[in-house]
Amino acid sequence: MAEISEEPPNPIPPQPQPQPQHTHQPSESTIRKAKPGLKRLTLTLSVLVSFIFAFPFLYKSVEIHRAPLPFREIDSLSSQIRSNNNRPSLSFPCHFQAIFVNFNNSNAETLESLIFDELTKLTSNTTSQCSTLSVKLVNSGPIWSLIGAVDFGGDDESVDEALAGVLGGEKLYSVVVVKGESEEVKGVVGKYRHGWVVGRVSEVEAAERVAEMFVKVFVNGGKEEGFIHGEFMPVGADGRIVLSFNLLNSNPHDWVYDWDFQAIDDTLLAPIIKALGPVANISAESQVLYHTPKSSFSFWDDKRKGYIFSTKDLPFFVNSNEWHLDTSIAAGGRSKILQFVVYVPSAKECPLLLQLPNGEISKTNGFISPMWGGVIVWNPQGCLKDSESQHPIRQTISRQDLQKIFEVFMGQFRQLFGLKSDNLYFCSSGTYSLLASEKGFSEWELDFLARRHTCFNLHSCATTLGSLSRLVQSLPRMIIMDEIGKQVKYSLEAANLAQRNASLGLYDASAVSSRQARSLAEDAFFHPSIISVSYYSFEHCFAVYSD
Amino acid sequence: MLGSKVTALSFLFLLLLGFSNCESQTETTMHTNNWAVLVCTSRFWFNYRHMANTLSLYRTVKRLGIPDERIILMLADDMACNARNKYPAQVFNNENHKLNLYGDNVEVDYRGYEVTVENFFRVLTGRHENAVPRSKRLLSDEGSHILLYMTGHGGDEFLKFQDSEELQSHDLADAVKQMKEKRRFKELLLMVDTCQASTLFSQLQSPGALAIGSSMKGENSYSHHLDSDVGVSVVDRFTFYTLAFFERLNIYDNASLTSLFGSYNPSMLMSTAYYRTDLYQRRLEEVPVTNFFGSVMETIHTDSAYRVLSRKESGSVEIRMSTEKSDHDKERLLLNSNDLDQIGELNTEDQRGNIECIWSTFHKELQKVKDVDSFVNYGLVIMLPLLTVSLWLSW
Repeated sequence: MAEISEEPPNPIPPQPQPQPQHTHQPSESTIRKAKPGLKRLTLTLSVLVSFIFAFPFLYKSVEIHRAPLPFREIDSLSSQIRSNNNRPSLSFPCHFQAIFVNFNNSNAETLESLIFDELTKLTSNTTSQCSTLSVKLVNSGPIWSLIGAVDFGGDDESVDEALAGVLGGEKLYSVVVVKGESEEVKGVVGKYRHGWVVGRVSEVEAAERVAEMFVKVFVNGGKEEGFIHGEFMPVGADGRIVLSFNLLNSNPHDWVYDWDFQAIDDTLLAPIIKALGPVANISAESQVLYHTPKSSFSFWDDKRKGYIFSTKDLPFFVNSNEWHLDTSIAAGGRSKILQFVVYVPSAKECPLLLQLPNGEISKTNGFISPMWGGVIVWNPQGCLKDSESQHPIRQTISRQDLQKIFEVFMGQFRQLFGLKSDNLYFCSSGTYSLLASEKGFSEWELDFLARRHTCFNLHSCATTLGSLSRLVQSLPRMIIMDEIGKQVKYSLEAANLAQRNASLGLYDASAVSSRQARSLAEDAFFHPSIISVSYYSFEHCFAVYSD
Repeated sequence: MLGSKVTALSFLFLLLLGFSNCESQTETTMHTNNWAVLVCTSRFWFNYRHMANTLSLYRTVKRLGIPDERIILMLADDMACNARNKYPAQVFNNENHKLNLYGDNVEVDYRGYEVTVENFFRVLTGRHENAVPRSKRLLSDEGSHILLYMTGHGGDEFLKFQDSEELQSHDLADAVKQMKEKRRFKELLLMVDTCQASTLFSQLQSPGALAIGSSMKGENSYSHHLDSDVGVSVVDRFTFYTLAFFERLNIYDNASLTSLFGSYNPSMLMSTAYYRTDLYQRRLEEVPVTNFFGSVMETIHTDSAYRVLSRKESGSVEIRMSTEKSDHDKERLLLNSNDLDQIGELNTEDQRGNIECIWSTFHKELQKVKDVDSFVNYGLVIMLPLLTVSLWLSW
């Protein structure tokens, strides 16, 4: 109360006072007399300078980290691999030699010109991987005399080994033409890098055969065109293949089969895996499954005394709901898994036979699906069922049966790589029989696969890197980690190494480096940090500090 | 003898031969497998019908032959064991309760809170962390046909994910574009069952993509019926009529996509099912529905076994072969060791840098700074003397 009564007199006197203060004070100390001079300038400049000085720090702190990618090199790689008009820029030199034995009356020049003509005819309208072909005609010298001493009348294997003994040291493809006495002309391609033709051949026919063997067999791998379809390249993006072998007992109440896979793995599978080393890094797994019926139907045929399923049922044979095949733990995210299934039918459907469209029964009872794997139907001996016992004893597939199954598997594996599973090659001028090798693939087939995979891998690498560079350039605010930059760099180096090796004729080394190039390019493209929801917008510059 | 003259000649022809065999042309790529990516983007009990939609389509696609290893199922999966579910562990899509969708063999790949926009894009583009298992990856290749089905709540150019995020149509188009660039599919069928569904694929530009949505812009998509026993709507109209179409089919049928797309009646759907075919090369009458919804397996008969006739070892040739091979191996090893060194460096610090100008040195110094915040603080501290000088000048 006392405060209130005291207050009113207080505010009143000060009120008139501030006003004269306002009017008096500015004139005394706050109004400038002189123009703004050096001091203000210095002040302004110091603030400006400090801002300019600190601006780079600010810019650096909001900069998005982008590892520099070598865009020019990527573009040049793409243009090198993919030249215009589809002309090849990847050149594999292929060297051939032709050896003529017992051609006493022939002239070397005519033979050469005949071979030359045939080669031009065969290679003019088709596409091929070999960009340089050199052909050498041998009619004298130590090699020629050694070959003359070989007995071509013996069986194919021994002739092959003998020729390998003479020719084995060089890295050329050779064809030996022997003018023999027999009317029928036999052409055989060996396991290494040579083949021979025996029989009563004329010069023209000999030249034809030689050219065919060069181009169609050694260069194109025994196919009509050396065309690569993507579905016959079963190598995963990281250069690995996992072979998953499954033995399926469809009804264990009838019989239960087991197999000694370890023995097969050690003796038969190991050389094949080693032979394909340059092309892919292969590992194998196996499992035995039970209660795995198939999903297609079969019907009894009296004539053949078996249950028949036809090729029309094949797409529906694999019962993916019951066959839990994809349980591999060894396969990484980018490896390719190939499933090989040995299906043991139940007693109700035994023996199960595959009927081909022409009415015959298949000799192998097996089929493949490209990029997936293969299935072999194996019928137990005599389909005898031990009906007395409730729990059938576990039987092991005998060694001979396992060997036969393995041979069919080998045929299927070759088919998955685009080669043929049988060993006869039909051509315009005759048939050639191709000898089989323990490694699963003959040397010239391995060369062919290495060349093909090199082409494919380099092409894929160039495409992937091109996509990555386009993606990165279209999004200027995307973070690119250092790891991606390094992977791109090493991928380009590996690709260049592959190209150099290819031009030197080192097929295996070029296959290995091209595989690495592709794997690194895929790692860079599929790096988990490149995800669109984390692209930064322009507000990022300010958002960093606003928090 | 071919004459006394030495006639070993060699000719080199530089034959410029075509390279087209090295390119895999998409027109000739075989259709090798089918994949299905089924996404339910809703959670919570009242969105029961979205999960029932997805599970019904999952069941259909499995019945027609696509195996679990080629189906990616993304569900919030909170219906079957929800406390409000009167029928625990059972999910129905019809009030007659004839079919339990959650019955046997349901393999959910992404469940619960894993169904995010980021994971969805990771599945589509394939950019996973290294440890993600194969079952959670879309391992398609250039011969794959992919069915991408999405259901939930959507709007104009977006789709709502789990009530917390949105999937934008331009991001989806971008993901599909990247898939096409990396050849992760041959053909793609996108089915969307949400409100204003066709806006979600309005920005698609990749060839080979076919899309159908349950409603057009400005229209809603409606549920089919309410199950008074369960207490919520159990299926959406678009999916209901899709399932009705497929219940009549089995794996051997070849009904075409035209019959599927033509079976949607706007008056029954209460919305217009709109599809776009401008990016799709083939004619819809020629495409059987099993090209997307069923399984396909291209099969080739194995003509013969690969028999090695004689397995006897012949000693000299073995040795020759092994020396040749070891030369090979040495060669390979030689070149490989280079590469191994390079690869080893990938994980170590890259010591050599391009020191071309002072800025790069500076840049390198800056790189070594671990703690950027304190570095910025130092910079600000340096400004203090300038400030004090200017302050002193002003007094």
